[in-house]
Amino acid sequence: MVQSSRLGARVSLIAFALLSAIGWAGSAGAVTLNFLAAERPEVFKPVIAAFEAANPGTTVAYTQVPFDSLNAQIQARVGSQDPGIDVYAADTPRIPAFASRGFLLDLSPYEAQIEATASRTAVGAISADGKLWAFPMWSSTQLLFFNLDLLAKAGVPPPSAAITTRLTWDAMLDDAVRAQKAGSRWGFTFEQVDRYYQLQPLFESANAGSGLSGPGLLTPDITGPAWIKTAAWYGALFASGLSPRGVSPEQTPDLFANGQVAFFVGGPWNFDKFDAAAKLHFGIAPVPYFTGGHPATPTGSWAIGVNPYAAHKDAAVRFAEFLSVDPEGNFLTVSANPLPPTNRAAYARYIARIAGLSHSIGPAARDIITYEMANTAVQRPRSVGYVAFEDVMNHIFSDIRNGADPSAALAAAQSQLTSTLARVR
Amino acid sequence: MRQHHDSLAAAVFLAPALVAVVVLRLWPACEALHASLLAPRAINFSLDNYRYIFTDRTFLNSLEVTLLYSVVVNPLQIALALMLALLLARELPLVGLWRTLILLPVAIPQSVSAVIWGVAFRPDGPLNAALALFGIGAQRFTTSPGQALASIIVVVSWIGIGYWMTFLIAGLQEIPPSLYEAAAMDGANRWQRLRHITIPQLRRPLTFVLVANTVANLLVFAPVQILTKGGPDGATDLIMNEIYTRAFVTGDTSSAAAASVVLVVVTLVVVAVQFRLMTPREQ
Repeated sequence: MVQSSRLGARVSLIAFALLSAIGWAGSAGAVTLNFLAAERPEVFKPVIAAFEAANPGTTVAYTQVPFDSLNAQIQARVGSQDPGIDVYAADTPRIPAFASRGFLLDLSPYEAQIEATASRTAVGAISADGKLWAFPMWSSTQLLFFNLDLLAKAGVPPPSAAITTRLTWDAMLDDAVRAQKAGSRWGFTFEQVDRYYQLQPLFESANAGSGLSGPGLLTPDITGPAWIKTAAWYGALFASGLSPRGVSPEQTPDLFANGQVAFFVGGPWNFDKFDAAAKLHFGIAPVPYFTGGHPATPTGSWAIGVNPYAAHKDAAVRFAEFLSVDPEGNFLTVSANPLPPTNRAAYARYIARIAGLSHSIGPAARDIITYEMANTAVQRPRSVGYVAFEDVMNHIFSDIRNGADPSAALAAAQSQLTSTLARVR
Repeated sequence: MRQHHDSLAAAVFLAPALVAVVVLRLWPACEALHASLLAPRAINFSLDNYRYIFTDRTFLNSLEVTLLYSVVVNPLQIALALMLALLLARELPLVGLWRTLILLPVAIPQSVSAVIWGVAFRPDGPLNAALALFGIGAQRFTTSPGQALASIIVVVSWIGIGYWMTFLIAGLQEIPPSLYEAAAMDGANRWQRLRHITIPQLRRPLTFVLVANTVANLLVFAPVQILTKGGPDGATDLIMNEIYTRAFVTGDTSSAAAASVVLVVVTLVVVAVQFRLMTPREQ
């Protein structure tokens, strides 16, 4: 009995070894790249198909991770040297922190190709310590969307799309209050409520600064009068009931698409969704600014980084390069997600496509996006402490939105940031 | 020879479990302890990370919130689970249906429950609409520092009570009916029967439920992450959320490791005390 079970064990072992060997031989030469990002799978489908067609034997397995979890996944998996991720989307302001932690492959050898195809701003966004750490892919901007029917009901004339007649926040909020009184469920909302990406330009517009200063941008600077005043302005939007509490950034575009919000500041990635909403008639205008301040808009977006511990580093770099340096590849990344691409040739095609959008917003979208990206865009602070800073700020904005006293909340955040940033110096 | 064979066989059968315990539990625990003793950029061991977290307002707040949460949620869940178990261990009409309905939320992953509750809790959501029917004003639920922790307790209890109830029902069915018959002959009333027969006889399942529930509640994470991310104003920053934020959001892995060690120590102490309290005196 013992004999036969030993024989059985040997047979199973040999069978296992043989099967493994067959599997190994079958997979030799074929490479599967694992690609992690926050977008819907349809966004990268066209570019993955084009890459696979141009690179027989290489397939790309795409994994979508929710926006809020992507950076945590990278921290957890790349931080533990997991070779199972080859390529991932890296938010540009996080690149200095990721690079300092060894999460990104040094791509400086590709400097010539990158500089030949992308703007200086885009190259700056992927640099840290004089090296390049990712391939630039997208940039971003924001626009003021408004619901034409809700404004008409309130007798509010729709704002002009012209840059020269940009509204002030005061003027826009007056109109939003009128629209709400006339029946709109909400007067106004930001798309990315509570996120530093969307709210930093408010503080920049009010001449309050980014919130980080000093050497290496590692000193929190968020307790000045302009910061407190602007934070109080933000909190008042929700305290007065003009903007909704308890709604996440993922849910706000639906509020506008469903006709529940009169004014909405959001990104150009919403064009397709809003166009598809049958009952929605909308227009666009430049993002408002504070009286006495200056216009400021968010920018920056995802770049493509390569995991230094990737199982297929060479193929991973080839794929990342295709998404950025190749004009067709870079354009395909925005064919289902209308964000401005960083490749100049791809941008020319993109903006021509935007100009042809329906609802007669096309030419206005082209002019606003082009102007804002060149003139009013404010980069997020490029610091190794940015990741911790952004997390604390997002929490504080959420607290202020929920009714916390702005002055006390900012003072608490300042003290928390001082001790947290001391640990990343 | 025979004994030697038996030990070998036992070792072989135990090996997978032992390997799993070492690789998945002991090794990461040692790693966490090691990481917790190395301050950022330091090469020598020190208690700097512990000094840092015990002077950090955010971490101290998360300890306070976790304590408050545990003191409320554990007795609440166990009392409700016990009440439901006593009710549903009787011969009620459609008892199977009631038990299934109460147990049903267990079949839904905690994360999915949290997403659904998130919609319900929205200030313009269905819960406030339902309250309005009774003339009660709109509540802020997860957006209010005063109501957010209670909202999390509702979500985890919605899932937990049915689950723990099933263990207690099983325990109730194990109690020999002869004990109740004897008590009835002695003229014991309902309360006396509960106090002197049911509760003492339930000691073992109750100990399990108490310990397992306490540990499960110390490790609650998904509802917090999905509904509040620890806010508003740190009101729901339970310790697991705090550790996750440190490790995977801000990337301060060494203070996260120190906080994890603190959590393990707290859990062990609480469980040890509970076991001691639940052991019958004569043993």
